[in-house]
Amino acid sequence: MSAKSAEKETDPRLTVSLAGVKLRTPLLTASGTCGYGPEYADVLDYSRLGGFTTKSVTLHERPGNEPQRIVEVQAGILNAIGLANVGLQRFIAEKIPYIREMPTRVFVNVAGYKQEDYVAVCEALDEFDCLAGLELNVSCPNVSDGLMFGTSPELLRRLIEAVRKVVRRRLLIVKLSPNVTDIAAMARAAIDGGAQVLSLINTYVGMAINAKTRRPLLANVIGGLSGPAIKPLALFNVHRVYREVAQRNNIPLIGMGGAQSVTDVIEFMLAGASAVGIGTALFVDPALPVKIADALGEYLHSNNIASASELVGKLALPQ
Amino acid sequence: MPSTLLPKRVCACDSAVIEVAHPCRDHVRVKVAVPGFPASVPGQFVELRCGQAGTNAPRERCWTDHGPTEAFETSWLTREPYLRRPFSIADRTGDEQGAQVEIISRHIGPGTAFLDVLKVGDTLNLTGPLGHGFDLPSPNRSAILVGGGVGIPPLLYMSRVLAAEKHRGAHLVLGAMSRDLFPVTCSESPAEDGRPRRCLQLPGGAPYAATVTTDDGTIGLRGRVTDGWQRLADREQLSDPIVYACGPSAMLRGVAVLTRSLGWDCQLCIERNMGCGMGTCLSCVTRVRDESRPAGWRWALACSEGPVFDRDLLVEEWDHAAR
Repeated sequence: MSAKSAEKETDPRLTVSLAGVKLRTPLLTASGTCGYGPEYADVLDYSRLGGFTTKSVTLHERPGNEPQRIVEVQAGILNAIGLANVGLQRFIAEKIPYIREMPTRVFVNVAGYKQEDYVAVCEALDEFDCLAGLELNVSCPNVSDGLMFGTSPELLRRLIEAVRKVVRRRLLIVKLSPNVTDIAAMARAAIDGGAQVLSLINTYVGMAINAKTRRPLLANVIGGLSGPAIKPLALFNVHRVYREVAQRNNIPLIGMGGAQSVTDVIEFMLAGASAVGIGTALFVDPALPVKIADALGEYLHSNNIASASELVGKLALPQ
Repeated sequence: MPSTLLPKRVCACDSAVIEVAHPCRDHVRVKVAVPGFPASVPGQFVELRCGQAGTNAPRERCWTDHGPTEAFETSWLTREPYLRRPFSIADRTGDEQGAQVEIISRHIGPGTAFLDVLKVGDTLNLTGPLGHGFDLPSPNRSAILVGGGVGIPPLLYMSRVLAAEKHRGAHLVLGAMSRDLFPVTCSESPAEDGRPRRCLQLPGGAPYAATVTTDDGTIGLRGRVTDGWQRLADREQLSDPIVYACGPSAMLRGVAVLTRSLGWDCQLCIERNMGCGMGTCLSCVTRVRDESRPAGWRWALACSEGPVFDRDLLVEEWDHAAR
């Protein structure tokens, strides 16, 4: 690490806390856009990152969907990867040794199709001190009744309760899906179940059609929309969950959804996010979280703001 | 191990456009100066940030099976291309401190439309070199470099690398649908009987004689690259050559079948729909043989395990063609 980066790394204005876990900057990578660590090591300086969130890990290895898996749309992308991942065993054997050496907080995104799967993966990962926390991806259908965990408050609460019992040493984060009628109800259910932090939002369901061939562009037909196209929707969801649920319960939020500039990050923090995930924009510029953190430091300095956390929830609403 | 301890393999930086040429109607060749570009091999690629926010995309021509139509404009076609676009390295000179990298782009959509109008002095943001390239042949082994259309660029880079290594016995077989889609300028007419000639006009000169084919016969031999190559194989007594190929999947299947029947080794550079180019988005999957899996295959990422694969690994290019 160069002296210059070490100096920037210690800029105390940027330090934020997520339910007791200190982050060097409020900038995180969002799950599914940064692999497991080695992929971006040449172009993203992890020693200057607030935190790193891995691709989802499931109990068993998943090959993922048929291609085409990704489509570029206006101001973003649609993806239907199908939770392709190496599975818990190979994650521990092949990815944890690298993660152990990463000079940043690492959060592992956990997905499943049965409550028992989530519990098994979380119980195993809770043992690893190199992990700062576990983020539950609840936007998966439950095989027992076909309902998405993240769309039924009762199902979600029971899932989090079960996971809470086995996650004793890691921060428990729940990533909310926006594809629901009432995201505040989901946030309440997750907190009732024992979530310590909420991250929002996951992708919006969407599709793309090739008019010439009259076929869907994604082999999976539907996919998740991400990128700047969803930023106003994400801001609204963060704002709503912060005002209606998180603030009064003292639950920090990780905001995400199309953020790709320092202004975007400030907007998410004003809406109520304590930290902000950069996702799809990493495909365009993997070094973005570090560039944004530098710009945020300059913004705080030039506006005489002592700490980034002072921005959280400071949206000036009409009286 | 943390790769911060290892030498960098990939750079992400702004490069300066130092040369722009239009070798044919639909292609543009762009040369950029890159301050710190790690060592690269033919078959590797770069990811280019084609548009910049705030600029208007040039009008786009819509590509149909019958050729480009008149320029027209819709919000879809003129949008800012969000993702980077992958391009094979068409040439690379210079060392890690000061490299010059060339790419050849076919104007086909909203991303490539930006490249089509680049000028000397413009800035182009680049990530690379990415992916796994061709394995170079041993010095005495004949090599056949087969390129089709916009798959030609990595073979040009390969020919330059082989020439620099004083490799003898490399043969180029390059084809396109028509003259307007042949991404290399010819200094003389390529032979219509497929005879190899030093007809290519490349920066620094053509290192090897080339056989040129077009589907419509507007330049070179009328036919497919595989026709041109059979003329070559008839004429030259090639023993145990290795074939390197890049081009449309139908061409790659043809090359796979032919090399297999001849018992020749073959490496194929494939193209897949990519998101990040660096192994994180998991989009550019292709089936590769893997006997350790119950299905006998697994998904491999074209961006990091490829884009160059051994022919026998590729299920879609080889197995499906053989059926």
